[in-house]
Amino acid sequence: MKKTVLDYTLKFRLPLILFIAAAAFVVTFYISRAERDGVGYKPLQPINYSHKLHAGEMGIDCQYCHVGVTKGRHALVPSVNICMNCHSVARKDKPEIIKLTKYYEEGNPIPWKRIHKVPEYAYFNHSVHVNKGIDCESCHGNVREMEEVSQIKPFTMTACLDCHRNPQEKLPYLKNVKVGPENCAACHR
Amino acid sequence: MSLKKTVEKKDFWKNLKEYYNDPAVLKAKANEFADGVTDEFNPDTLNTVSRRRFIALLSASAAFAATACSDYQDKGEIIPYTKRPEGVLPGKPNFYATIVNGKSVLVRVREGRPINIEGNPDHPIYMGKIDAQSPAVLLNLYDPERLKEPYKKKRKIDWEKADSEILDLLGEAVVKNKEIAIITDRIASPATLKLINNFKEKFPTTKWYSYQSSGDENKRIAWQSSYGSRNVPSIKLDKAQIILSLESDFLGREGNTIENTRLFTQRKDVMNSNNFNRLYSVEGAMSLTGINSDYRIRLRADAQLEFVLSLLNEIVLKKNVQQITLTASIKSLISKYQLKNFINKYKLDSIKINYLVDDLVKYQGQSIVLAGEILPVDVHSAVIMLNEVLGNSALYDYNSVNLDFHPMSTSDELKGLVSSASKGNIGVLINFGINPIFNMPKELGLEEAFQKIPNTISIVESENETSDKSTYTLAASNELESWGDNYVRSDIYELQQPLIAPIFNTRQKENILLTWINGSAEAYSMDAIHHFVMENFKDIYNLQNSPVDFKSYWYNALHDGFVKVIPSAQIKYSFNQSSFDKISSTETTSEYLVQLQKSYFIGDGKFANNGWLQEIPHPVSKVAWDNYAALSPNSAKELGVENNDYVKVVVNGKFLEIPVMLQPGMADKLLSIELGYGRTVIGDAGKNSGFNAVVLMSGTEVSNYLLTNAAVTKPGGSYKLVSTQEHHPLDDNSVKDFHKIRKIIQEGTVEEYKKNSKFLHEDEHNLIGITREHKYEGVKWGMSIDLNKCTSCASCVTSCNVENNIPVVGKDQVANGREMHWIRIDRYYSGTPDDPEVSGQPMLCQHCDNAPCENVCPVNATNHSPDGLNQMAYNRCVGTRYCANNCPYKVRRFNFYNFRDHFADAYYENELTSLVNNPEVTVRSRGVMEKCTFCVQRIMEARETAIAEGRELKGSDVKTACQSACPADAIVFGDTNDKESKISKYREHELGYHVLEELYVKPNVTYLAKLRNTHSEEA
Repeated sequence: MKKTVLDYTLKFRLPLILFIAAAAFVVTFYISRAERDGVGYKPLQPINYSHKLHAGEMGIDCQYCHVGVTKGRHALVPSVNICMNCHSVARKDKPEIIKLTKYYEEGNPIPWKRIHKVPEYAYFNHSVHVNKGIDCESCHGNVREMEEVSQIKPFTMTACLDCHRNPQEKLPYLKNVKVGPENCAACHR
Repeated sequence: MSLKKTVEKKDFWKNLKEYYNDPAVLKAKANEFADGVTDEFNPDTLNTVSRRRFIALLSASAAFAATACSDYQDKGEIIPYTKRPEGVLPGKPNFYATIVNGKSVLVRVREGRPINIEGNPDHPIYMGKIDAQSPAVLLNLYDPERLKEPYKKKRKIDWEKADSEILDLLGEAVVKNKEIAIITDRIASPATLKLINNFKEKFPTTKWYSYQSSGDENKRIAWQSSYGSRNVPSIKLDKAQIILSLESDFLGREGNTIENTRLFTQRKDVMNSNNFNRLYSVEGAMSLTGINSDYRIRLRADAQLEFVLSLLNEIVLKKNVQQITLTASIKSLISKYQLKNFINKYKLDSIKINYLVDDLVKYQGQSIVLAGEILPVDVHSAVIMLNEVLGNSALYDYNSVNLDFHPMSTSDELKGLVSSASKGNIGVLINFGINPIFNMPKELGLEEAFQKIPNTISIVESENETSDKSTYTLAASNELESWGDNYVRSDIYELQQPLIAPIFNTRQKENILLTWINGSAEAYSMDAIHHFVMENFKDIYNLQNSPVDFKSYWYNALHDGFVKVIPSAQIKYSFNQSSFDKISSTETTSEYLVQLQKSYFIGDGKFANNGWLQEIPHPVSKVAWDNYAALSPNSAKELGVENNDYVKVVVNGKFLEIPVMLQPGMADKLLSIELGYGRTVIGDAGKNSGFNAVVLMSGTEVSNYLLTNAAVTKPGGSYKLVSTQEHHPLDDNSVKDFHKIRKIIQEGTVEEYKKNSKFLHEDEHNLIGITREHKYEGVKWGMSIDLNKCTSCASCVTSCNVENNIPVVGKDQVANGREMHWIRIDRYYSGTPDDPEVSGQPMLCQHCDNAPCENVCPVNATNHSPDGLNQMAYNRCVGTRYCANNCPYKVRRFNFYNFRDHFADAYYENELTSLVNNPEVTVRSRGVMEKCTFCVQRIMEARETAIAEGRELKGSDVKTACQSACPADAIVFGDTNDKESKISKYREHELGYHVLEELYVKPNVTYLAKLRNTHSEEA
């Protein structure tokens, strides 16, 4: 029996193409997952601020700057006057502090690049989590070790629900923690 | 007879066509949406890209994106404050007390922008409640067509230049001894009054005119002549056992609605059914007060004087009731009017009138007679007399008097203005924030006079008919950008503070006057008016003997929004009978009477460009976006007109063509038309809405709202009025044998309730469901609505609109039944079209335990939460509309368009108007179903607070927007699992019922059946 072109195509070419396409998809899907979820995102900030120095080495409490975290929805990126509490005196000669002072004195806001973002149709609230005793690290990673902050964990609905459903496992440091709400209106309205 | 029977016998009908069982209506009721709802919804016309092509593009772009997917998605920036203001925490609202629309309110502000207006909870009159108009003022603040800077002859000018030019003109006028005319609305602000007086001192040729197209001027004139004071005491309505309203819409259009509704409905509390008051309403047109009355008597407004005189005759001469001794001349005057003759003449129901007379006699000193604002001075005088005779002056509250600072200009004064204008004696005319060319009777000729005045200045928020004709148009700031005060009631002094800096290059109108008084354009500063109001407030401070210093007193007052003024010992006014001698009654004619009335929502046309207010359906007719001539079905038959047909109304040579609306319950030969519609110089929202009835007004008597001897003809042609009532037929008649058990509205009378309190639930049987039952642990939300208290005022509708980002859809979409209100007020008629009984019912998502909508959603976008909410996830909804189809209450709303983009060429889709949106609520887009959420954002806010305080969430922590607005306190919301809560008591109440209970969907909104306080013999 003579091998025809059709035979060849059906037996080798088509399966091969399909396999390559599928493999490429699977590989891309898994490799790009972190990027899609934003994990590892480390944008260049307008001021080269080090959390490692401030929160880690000097041990300043997160809430000294992120004042809203127990009070409302937003943790709040600190307003410049909070920075100036120290930097009107401290390290005034450093180039980054000069930049900071310039922003403050000219009354211009600092355009910090956003790192963590919950999708817009979800209404995340910092205070309900923090006031239940959940620490910052559980979602944001150990910021005290980060020279520049990057995203450590995904901020997807799966990630939220993972923790809401298995809090004992995900938040072992919290005793008597109850499961989080799972209904739609808990986050969407 | 048992009440059950009367309840069942009632055939509720929603409009006249239905009453006559029109086959078209029967057919429409069988359909889910009214005809036309799904018309014009052809996807091809929406977008030139076909679905196939769109998917091709989509996949191509996805592939492209995949290849480019080598970097992270940019997430934008976070911009913190540079110097965060004290007390402002982004994401948390701040509340400030101020004055909006003449009412003391509490404004919710987020990051410096006002997003919601609610009543001031500490205020002794408003008690945290609000009317239907005030919250919508927000939309005026964010109106894209606000004036953004000053203009001279339609060209931009800067403030300094305008000010110095105007100062020259004013100076010149004084030097040449020409009049400077300033026209204002009624002014209740002591600071503004002082400003006007200062202005008059600085420019001595100034003459001050004041005008409003509707108001209580007639009443005040009557009080002046009877009691010697225009300061009318407030009325202790809660103490009134019997209320007789003569064409008085004290629950609706007339001022002080919030307090009146609260006091009136305090006596409609089912928890205390022995305490029910009784409202008699005698009126020609169908008003909101009329639909809430226990007895309603149809009488044309021009026969009211005769009616009051006949009542006086009957009560004084026949029943010999004389709490005060009447003079002989008065007795001889009233002796001419026999009640019996009156009843025969107007074919009234003598039984009802006898009940009325008996009640008034029985409850002397515990009843009150109220005369409507549109009635002439004589009727008000006669009513004052009637109240005196009955000893009802005991209900006047002299500790809280409605203050009046100046009488309105009379027609002669206004004529004087026009004639000196035509003689060239007026140098400058200042229009202080109103629209006299539109609102004053055309006969006065103000518009023509404007051309003869060399310099006219309008200080207005947005262009109107008057500013259009003015030389200078100065852009005024919104109320929410202004300082001010109000002294409406003698015991309360209110303060206004700005919530936001002027968004545009506008100035507060009082501050503009202040600059001119100070005499130089450079004298302006934004703070000047602040200091002026504060300085003026020292007068109040000095009177109060307060132990604190002025600054603290001022800040406290600003914080609260008001101060309680210790009233100077108020003496009861002495009654002067002689004013009564002048009364003479004119014979009523058989010709048509035209009755001009204030609009419920758009005021004198001031709010005509406010889409939210235009779209609230009229409380009785449910017509939105237009005014019309309301006409009784009998008179319509006589004229040969039907709904939407034009009629031509001719009064004293002035004429108007206007479509008619057949209104059951109207007196015959009467046209009732609302004012404020038909504006021509207006933004895109208010364009082409309604007809201007001011053209019919007489120039000889400015506060005459009753135009007699009108000739009405049918000129042919018709218009399209749109109403929301026919859109949601809750089908009862079409399923003939079922309608008796379809207890949508259930009612009874007080007497029968007292006899048998369980009458509603006598024939109840156990229902069996097929759906899985939910377990509710912790809080379970529920609502109850007391139909005894609800007056259909629509405060809840506006508050819901503002809270939940409800879009304006426009007249054409309302016509298609696509209005988006999450809460609507249904109105049902029963009885005859001549004398219908009206039942109102707020209808919103019932959050059923066994919700039928949930079962049919193919994507599970709507489902149940463990705290009993029927939740809706917008980002999951694909828009099949199955849920709306399956909802027995028709409360789900579908976004057929992105309405912000669709309405009036994206009128509300711009950077400015977007600021009105509540950031806690999603702005829904096209293709998504939406409905009432029980204000889930407020529940979440309360939950957040509870968690922060480390306690469990309680039902009383949450107040929904409709609940907090409701002046009647008809809406109760809370945790039904908490057996001690108010909501549980209402849910378990004997009068509680669920709409369409037999469907066993188990709604979580309980209605309390209305009890009419009629006489038992009638039932």
